[in-house]
Amino acid sequence: MKFGGTSVATPEARNSAALRVISAKEQGFSPVVVVSAIGRRGAPYATDTLINALAEVDPPTAPRPRELDLLMSCGEVLSAVLFAHLLKSLGHPASAMTGVQAGIHTDGNYGNARVTQVEPAGILRFLEQGDIPVVCGFQGVCASPEGWLSEITTLGRGGSDTTGSALGAALGAEAVEVFTDVDGVKSADPDFVPHAPTLRTVTYDEVAEIAHLGAKVLHPRAAEIAMNNGIPLWVKNTFSDDPGTRIVPRSDYPGKRVTGVTHTGKLVYLQFNFESSEASHVRELQSVVYEMLERYGINLFMINVSPTGLGFGVPRSQYEVVMDLMDGLVLPLDGGRPVIYLFQIGPATKEVETQERLLRPLGEQRRIVAEVTEGCTMVSVIGHEVLQQPGIFLRTLRTLHEAKVPVLQTSDSDLSVSCLVPEADMERAVRTLHDAFAGAVAP
Amino acid sequence: MPKQTVFESKRGVSRVEVREGYSQVLFSGLPEPLVASRVAVLEVIAQSGVSIDFLKLTQSGLSFLVPEAKSEQVEAAIRSIGFRYEVLQHRAIVLAHAVNMRDEEGLIARIVGTAIRCGVQIDHIGDMHDRVLMVVSDFDVPRLQEAIAPIAAGGRP
Repeated sequence: MKFGGTSVATPEARNSAALRVISAKEQGFSPVVVVSAIGRRGAPYATDTLINALAEVDPPTAPRPRELDLLMSCGEVLSAVLFAHLLKSLGHPASAMTGVQAGIHTDGNYGNARVTQVEPAGILRFLEQGDIPVVCGFQGVCASPEGWLSEITTLGRGGSDTTGSALGAALGAEAVEVFTDVDGVKSADPDFVPHAPTLRTVTYDEVAEIAHLGAKVLHPRAAEIAMNNGIPLWVKNTFSDDPGTRIVPRSDYPGKRVTGVTHTGKLVYLQFNFESSEASHVRELQSVVYEMLERYGINLFMINVSPTGLGFGVPRSQYEVVMDLMDGLVLPLDGGRPVIYLFQIGPATKEVETQERLLRPLGEQRRIVAEVTEGCTMVSVIGHEVLQQPGIFLRTLRTLHEAKVPVLQTSDSDLSVSCLVPEADMERAVRTLHDAFAGAVAP
Repeated sequence: MPKQTVFESKRGVSRVEVREGYSQVLFSGLPEPLVASRVAVLEVIAQSGVSIDFLKLTQSGLSFLVPEAKSEQVEAAIRSIGFRYEVLQHRAIVLAHAVNMRDEEGLIARIVGTAIRCGVQIDHIGDMHDRVLMVVSDFDVPRLQEAIAPIAAGGRP
């Protein structure tokens, strides 16, 4: 039973969560509890608050990832101890455990560690004693350079969900229940589509797709572990008696359906046109762009490479880095006909104009201008088998066209069709697509 | 005792898959309004009863893949609308699978950059959260596979 930040944020919330654990025990189960840090962004013990405390010491100095993980693991320790103490006060013996004590082994990738093994001997001992183990989510342990299993790591985004699934798999649990502050997985963001139903059953791959494409209700890493081990997953509301969403293998829930409509990401889309470049230079130009994006760790969305151009979306948080890298970039290429290429991102800046003046005496130059569309987001229709049917793209594009939502680019997978749309139109796009496909949504 | 457990997949490219038997249909120079022309193309394809994959919007049109076995059926349908098009036969999709690939900053750019540098003609590239898809001619598949293989093995090409 994993409880997220909002489920342990206040004494009242913790009490509701504790009563769910006690109820499970009284029904004859042996619950193992996983808790997140207390509260979300801005709360006194939330992970972000702890990181900010470090930044206040010396903003320009980046903390070592090892120390950062040590610090970030504190929020869950506090949460686990409080929760275990609450269970005891309600008459049920409980023991708090860190990720290390729970036997969660990871690789050494601080800040985004991968669970490699779980040795749940400590948890089993507490269960045999009749205690309820309360395990810190989001954290594990890796070997030190000396080979001792002593270095605290954190699991990155979705870490506590991942802990819950990993423990469920290691213990051969009957189910992993992820408790949050909504009734389950919805067919769309209820802020945009208030009538969006709670999905009663979805498959592991559907929920992973939904999570990747925007829904924040369950992290796809948790779905992956549960899927690999055939552990039934549930998403439930700590604060209501709604039965929640059951997540199962595809074989347990076959059939054709639209699962939902999601939205994700604050993106900036860049479109480079190489039509004015020498044909023999295009490959080199494309190659240089991607080499720089790789070197600086830029995340890409909706890539489009064609013989005459390339386009991609970047997270808004990384756009400034892309500007710094590419605006005014000078690239002299030979290959038969020497040309000096000058990159311009968006409207011409003073730097680009200066570069051009300086380069003028050096030979023929051409400008590669990237058209920039700021404020984009990705809206996706997710479903099983529906997307392989003729006319799905037509229906999606026509629906958005009729709703006057411009589509800048598309991409698709076996389970989804995604459209890049202006952020200003996001809500309308989600609502319109949800309404258009609502008949096919199977709650 | 708890059973043997598989936890998270290794990060990075886990495998390279090839799906053959596609034709690529490219429309360019579509009449304005562009959106209405694109919708008209998709309408004709939908009426022909053929499912398309890998739809990409280009500056003056769109492109997509259809099963090679259906390409004649598709051509017969699109001929009727009178727009300029081209059909490239013997296309394959090369997929580089990488679970949670967006958690690995720069990985997508690395795959794409490697594919471009290896010298094959890439007709189109697309990405999802767990894979990069590249459309090439059947002839170029082995070369592209060979170029991406070192990334799948955890090394640098």
